[in-house]
Amino acid sequence: MVMEENIVSTVMDDLQGKFLTFHIEDTIYGIELLHVIEIISIQNATRIPNVPTYIKGIINLRGKIVPVIDVRLKFKQSERVYDEKTCIIVVVIEDMQVGLIVDRVSEVVTVDQAELANPPELGTTSNEKYLQSIATVGEKVVLNIDCHKFFHSDLNYTKI
Amino acid sequence: MSSIDPGMESMLEMFIYESTTLLEELDEIMLESEKSKDISEKNINEIFRIMHTIKGSSAMMGLESISSLAHSVEDVFFIVRENPAKLKEISDSIYDLLFQASDFIKAEIDGLQTDDYTPKDSSSIIGLLEEQAAIMKGAAPRAAVPVTVAPTATAQTPKQQSVPKRAPADAGISTGDGYHQVRVFFEDGCQMENIRAFMLLTQMKDWCDELDSVPPHPEADSSLSSVIIDKGFIVKFKTTANPEDIYKIIENSINVKSYEILETKEENVSQNATAASSASTVTVQVKDDQGQTSAIAAKAGSKQSLISVNQTKLDQLMDLVGELVTAESMVASNPDLKGLVLDNFNKSTRELRKLTDELQDVVMSIRMVPLSGVFQKMNRIVRDMGKKLNKAVELETIGGDTEVDKTINDTITDPFMHMIRNSMDHAIESAEERRALGKPETGKITLAAQNIGGEIVITISDDGCGLDSAKIMSKAKKNGLLTKPESEYSEKEIFSMIMLPGFSTNEAVTEYSGRGVGMDVVRKNLEKVGGTISVESTRNVGTTFTIKIPLTLAIVDGMEISVGGSIFTLPITSIKQSFKIFDPKQVIYNTDGSEMIMLRGECFPIIRLHDVFSIDNAIKDLTEGIVIQIENASQVACIFADELIGEQQVVVKPFPAFLNRYNIKQCGLSGCTILGDGSISLILDANNLLSIFERQ
Repeated sequence: MVMEENIVSTVMDDLQGKFLTFHIEDTIYGIELLHVIEIISIQNATRIPNVPTYIKGIINLRGKIVPVIDVRLKFKQSERVYDEKTCIIVVVIEDMQVGLIVDRVSEVVTVDQAELANPPELGTTSNEKYLQSIATVGEKVVLNIDCHKFFHSDLNYTKI
Repeated sequence: MSSIDPGMESMLEMFIYESTTLLEELDEIMLESEKSKDISEKNINEIFRIMHTIKGSSAMMGLESISSLAHSVEDVFFIVRENPAKLKEISDSIYDLLFQASDFIKAEIDGLQTDDYTPKDSSSIIGLLEEQAAIMKGAAPRAAVPVTVAPTATAQTPKQQSVPKRAPADAGISTGDGYHQVRVFFEDGCQMENIRAFMLLTQMKDWCDELDSVPPHPEADSSLSSVIIDKGFIVKFKTTANPEDIYKIIENSINVKSYEILETKEENVSQNATAASSASTVTVQVKDDQGQTSAIAAKAGSKQSLISVNQTKLDQLMDLVGELVTAESMVASNPDLKGLVLDNFNKSTRELRKLTDELQDVVMSIRMVPLSGVFQKMNRIVRDMGKKLNKAVELETIGGDTEVDKTINDTITDPFMHMIRNSMDHAIESAEERRALGKPETGKITLAAQNIGGEIVITISDDGCGLDSAKIMSKAKKNGLLTKPESEYSEKEIFSMIMLPGFSTNEAVTEYSGRGVGMDVVRKNLEKVGGTISVESTRNVGTTFTIKIPLTLAIVDGMEISVGGSIFTLPITSIKQSFKIFDPKQVIYNTDGSEMIMLRGECFPIIRLHDVFSIDNAIKDLTEGIVIQIENASQVACIFADELIGEQQVVVKPFPAFLNRYNIKQCGLSGCTILGDGSISLILDANNLLSIFERQ
């Protein structure tokens, strides 16, 4: 039985080992559910100048202006025409909301600490340095993204 | 807030607000007086009034250290008021002392707002003030002595306050012809009887020619409350009006339980010498209290219709109005209405538009405050630092009446302070150096504000040593701030490096500047309110910082223009005119192929928006699109877009903080806005567009 006052911490614990998985091509990535706010369907972003190509622009999320990043481009993969499966995952990082455009969102998986493996240290390509851990869920391999590393180049300006 | 009576906490905010305002006034008066080396009679009265009010209200809050300090300042000015000539005897130190006193009170008030406030001891400043009072008195002619008895008597009260036995209170008052005496009792448990008694006296002052009480200064010592509870508060007055009217005032006064009219000469016929002297002092006191009441009354007359409002409420109101404006345009230009003939509807929406416009103007004007407050603070910094660093510097302020949004006003205070300190500390040379350079010994810092086309342009310039580009360069190199070969940096780029994070040219950390947080913090603070900063400098001649801040953060009248699929908003204030080019011959080409257009004998460059923002699917033929002439303070240019969509009021939203790193503001955009249909439009910054063009 769960004690009343434990509920909040239980919720946190509940989120702890959970990852929202999404697809880029055939690769499955995971992002900690803690960071995820919501998933919305793709919408037209207003382009802004002077930003890297992976920042597709800004969208209006119920009156809030939110920048959106194309994860494919961020991972230096080829651009692909958005279809009805393309989604925007809205995540929060350092109190700022950012939208991530992904090919499609699949499911929320719970991963035991034991099933997590550290990403390889050697031979890391530029994409792999964004990874926090690698998990095997059933037969699938999920690459878990470290949000802080992922956004590092966009955020380090404020951190100097 | 341990030292504050819990019942008082509701009044704390009011007290803090009131005292802060008064202290700012005091600073202003003192700076002005110090400059002119003379305090006018009006200002002496003003200082007296300010100190008196602070004394009263802080005593009410139970803040003894503040009230006793205010009291001793009041004492000093009591003497000055009686004999202004005496001020000369202490003019050297009185200003410093007064600033010290005002700083002390300010610090105490700041402390009050923290949770672990413990009152500090003000007795050292009081001691110094008493010394000054003594100097003035010592030199006073013999005849003036009786007058100065009052300050001596009261000057000692702060000390006595700690030992609550000030009141030989029933000493009594000499009663003479025409005097009336009333013993007043206040309601049980109404608290602060001494202050209520003081308020009663204030109320009666207007009606009485002479006024006296037992105990004589009820407001000065909260321990008198118990005396007043026990023995009642005895008021003695002489009036030409009908005494009955006075009794009415007493009767109607707040918290008065009962009063009894004492027979004249009924008691206290035998008087001792001290009582007599106390009586004479009090009559003097009455005289000046009257002067002060009229000052207060005059002030009340002009301020009657003012109320102070919590700023969060104003912010809320502003947000709501913003939403309302968006909602209004959502309704008026609803896509469902396209193609319908709606005469009445259009009439009504026009009416609505008019009202929202007006509402918006009013809300904006509520939030506008003049910059003079910020400028005033700078005056104070220049003065204090000038003394400490032993540099003679004059601060000239121009355009202090320029008004900006309150939020902006609050945000720019710190950056300005920092910049003025920088100028004082690093830029202005010592007097000897200045002499050697053939400059006037007194340095000069100019702070000028002006309102140019929806923007406030503030310049901070000094005639100091200027920026040393070689030094900046080597420092930037050391800190790894360079992004391209050293030789490719222009002087302007080098100067602007001082605003990069982690840059501070002064090796030695001084009290005032050079803590490693430098101009980058200034820049960030200014960017927060949509401002920009640039710097120009000439070696040994001076440095000028130019700061541009939008007048208000919130709503602009904009013209929607389309370029390709994108919609941009151009603030109407920067549009001069728009026109179509019918004859391609109007367009002339510069040697480098850039386009210009001839208008009424003048030639203007054409900026193609689709080039600036690299939009592919836009109209490229100049004769098919539209040309809009834009201007800022100094330049005029034409921008080329596909078409004008229409005028709309838009709520300016800053770009998401996430994008701060990318300096979008340097690309001719000042922010973004949500249009009626939910899409986002980027707001063009004419100034920036022009400067980009200039750079090319």
